[in-house]
Amino acid sequence: MTQERGKLRGAKRELWLAWYVTVAFYGLYSVVFFALARAQPPGRPWLDPGQTVAWFADRHWGLLIGFGLIFVLGGFSAVALALITYSIRRMSVSPAYAYSYLILYAIAAIPGFMFICVAMTCGVMRPDLSPVTTQWLYDLGFLSFVGTMGVFLVGSLIWMVAILIDENGVLPRWFGYLSLVNALTEVVIAPSWIFQRGVLAYNGAIGFWVNVPVFGLYTVAFILLLRDFIRRDDLGTGPLPMPPPDVWGHAKRAVEAVGA
Amino acid sequence: MPPGEVSTSRVGERIIYWTWVPLFAIWITAFLLFPGFIPPVSPRASAAEVAEFYRQDLSRIRYSMILFNWFGVALIPILMLIAERMRGMAHRTPVLRFCVIGVAGGAPIAFLTSTVFWLVAAFRPDRSPDLTLLTNDLAWVTFTCGVPFLIALYLFIALAVAWDDQPRPVFPRWIAWFNVVIALVTVPAAFAGLAKRGVFAWDGLVSFWVKNVAIAVWIVVMAWSLRSAMARDGEVIEAGA
Repeated sequence: MTQERGKLRGAKRELWLAWYVTVAFYGLYSVVFFALARAQPPGRPWLDPGQTVAWFADRHWGLLIGFGLIFVLGGFSAVALALITYSIRRMSVSPAYAYSYLILYAIAAIPGFMFICVAMTCGVMRPDLSPVTTQWLYDLGFLSFVGTMGVFLVGSLIWMVAILIDENGVLPRWFGYLSLVNALTEVVIAPSWIFQRGVLAYNGAIGFWVNVPVFGLYTVAFILLLRDFIRRDDLGTGPLPMPPPDVWGHAKRAVEAVGA
Repeated sequence: MPPGEVSTSRVGERIIYWTWVPLFAIWITAFLLFPGFIPPVSPRASAAEVAEFYRQDLSRIRYSMILFNWFGVALIPILMLIAERMRGMAHRTPVLRFCVIGVAGGAPIAFLTSTVFWLVAAFRPDRSPDLTLLTNDLAWVTFTCGVPFLIALYLFIALAVAWDDQPRPVFPRWIAWFNVVIALVTVPAAFAGLAKRGVFAWDGLVSFWVKNVAIAVWIVVMAWSLRSAMARDGEVIEAGA
């Protein structure tokens, strides 16, 4: 704890605070969507209108309190974006990459989480709506949440290119390739706009059970890599004093090969 | 640059700065003109009552919401002036400035989205009352609960001001506490879905009046302190020249 307090007093306090808020935000987001609102894993897209009314009734307080919390704290998603934007500004690439990332993800918040919170709050506030209308809100909520694709697709690619061409050693190259995998999840989710059941539906084997673990892995990876980046950062402008961690030991083997 | 001459950059900032006066006047006008605000439409109103509301006073609903649709987002350039002042703060990184820029669009665009729902409801007042009720709900929930970007904005500014460790900070220290208080009084509006009656309902004292008065007070106080901060920046630049 003393060490953490020290982190929040030192020269890198803005970076460390942003990192802690990022961890707390993703933790809260997972707890709200999975445990409190129980809106993840997503509801079944094939529910008939009457069943969607029951779905809302089953989650009444969870949806209202959970999405109330998102309405309070959702804006803190910008902290992770700010930290990532800073990491891109710290690279040897044009600032256009950093600002593109910031704007793409900032606007993603409106369809990406505001729509589901508004639609589900409206659905749960009016249990006496016609079931067809309730189903419409259910569709709006889930489809906007999983189907906001372009910003995450292009945003991940922007970050990927920045990492791959960076010469300051801010993030490891393998994470650039992992960004490509994350971008591809936004491609394979597209059929969820069309299919109401099966592996391609938004709760299907690909739509949910492959995509969400990939996103989870990606998120954990960038949270750990950002922590490592903050440790190595000298708040300057050139190459970082230490290169990114070499998890597979490639550099060591290369050195040995040269030595031999 | 000859002495006494003001740079284009500073002239440009002054132009944006003084838009806060018409912006404030327009927001108040739209607020007073919209018949759904005084008094606020009740979340307890039936579909028939809500449909009747859109049939009466139709013109005022449209004019006020077109006005708010036009100028609700005019807050963004003023927020960018605040973000620019953050360059002069004693921070080691631009992270807090990026945080402010990251939420600066979201706050007014949540308002813009609610105007879209209100105008859609008013577009065909003879529509099925159930659909009008739904559209009206979407407008009110977006307008009332759509505060996450505002709350984050207030707290980012508060922290930025608190961490501006220099003998003559960009904004006075009390601006940090002021922003914390404004953020705290805005929080209950996020939970307006939980209550259809009482002070926390979307037409209640806390979720409607306190939240909206807080926004008005915030604009006036921040505009006032922004003026001093811009003058300070000018002096710092001239001293360094």
